Amino acid sequence: MPHISTSSEWLAQSSLLVKAYPRTTRVSSKYSVLSPKVSKVSKSRKKAAAAGSEPAAAPVSDDASATPTRLNIATFTLKTYDPDSGTCLKYQTNKAAEVGRLVGSLGKLARVMAALPEVVEDLNAPIDQTGTHTPVPEGTGKDVKVGDAKGPPGGGAAGGGKKKKKGKK
Amino acid sequence: MAEGHLTNAEFFTKLAALLDTNRDKGHGSVYLTQKRMTYSSDVAPSPTKVADDPLWDTHPENPLPVIVRASNTKEDKAKDGSRRDKPKEKFSTIVQPDELDRFYVRYAETCKAGMSALKKRDRTKRKKDKRKKAKTDGEKKG
Repeated sequence: MPHISTSSEWLAQSSLLVKAYPRTTRVSSKYSVLSPKVSKVSKSRKKAAAAGSEPAAAPVSDDASATPTRLNIATFTLKTYDPDSGTCLKYQTNKAAEVGRLVGSLGKLARVMAALPEVVEDLNAPIDQTGTHTPVPEGTGKDVKVGDAKGPPGGGAAGGGKKKKKGKK
Repeated sequence: MAEGHLTNAEFFTKLAALLDTNRDKGHGSVYLTQKRMTYSSDVAPSPTKVADDPLWDTHPENPLPVIVRASNTKEDKAKDGSRRDKPKEKFSTIVQPDELDRFYVRYAETCKAGMSALKKRDRTKRKKDKRKKAKTDGEKKG
């Protein structure tokens, strides 16, 4: 069961899998909060006691009620599994800051499942800079598109601004 | 599923409640699953259809709904009496393709609010690192 190290890589691989097997692939996520093992609790208490004056030692005083919640291990795991091909892709995090983005990528996968067109080219887009251009894309003519293609390698913010002006004219 | 599907709004209230009970309990897991909703005719296509177009399921004529399920785990009675038997709680909703975007915005909000045990962004750590760096730099210079 491969664990993928970055969420964007997980999204890329998963969306390929969903595209290939849209009927059978399922995306599941698991939010789990586990109480740590007894041995771990006692270890960390010893550590805290040894550290003594450090602020981390505070929970020792109010004993069992406070320590377990503090030590609880919460994880958020995303899994894409296709029973037909037997492919399984996993990504795990413990950061609250990532949840919003991850659920957003679940939404992107749901669009693929529903056979809706993808909103933006989320896989190869170098994020915001080209994002401002994308609303204009194929309808308005090739000049703008050429500008877009030159945009990212040019790099600088000033270059981007110039291209925008050209697009407007 | 025995009890049928919930509407999207009902699903969110139940999901929030499920995450809340999980928080009150202090431990446990919540499972969320999504899958394309397939109808019986899709599940068993005629053999000729498959032969004609082996990739028939990759390009349906119309967008299909997505089914989202949520559940927790069954809880067994603890010997010390701290827990009682609790059955698994599960429910599901069907999201129509035109409601997907709206659904996922709310879904993200509900998840963010409910999954509070995850690590918050820790700024104190960064400061410590900086201090450490400054110290080591100072030592090098000195």
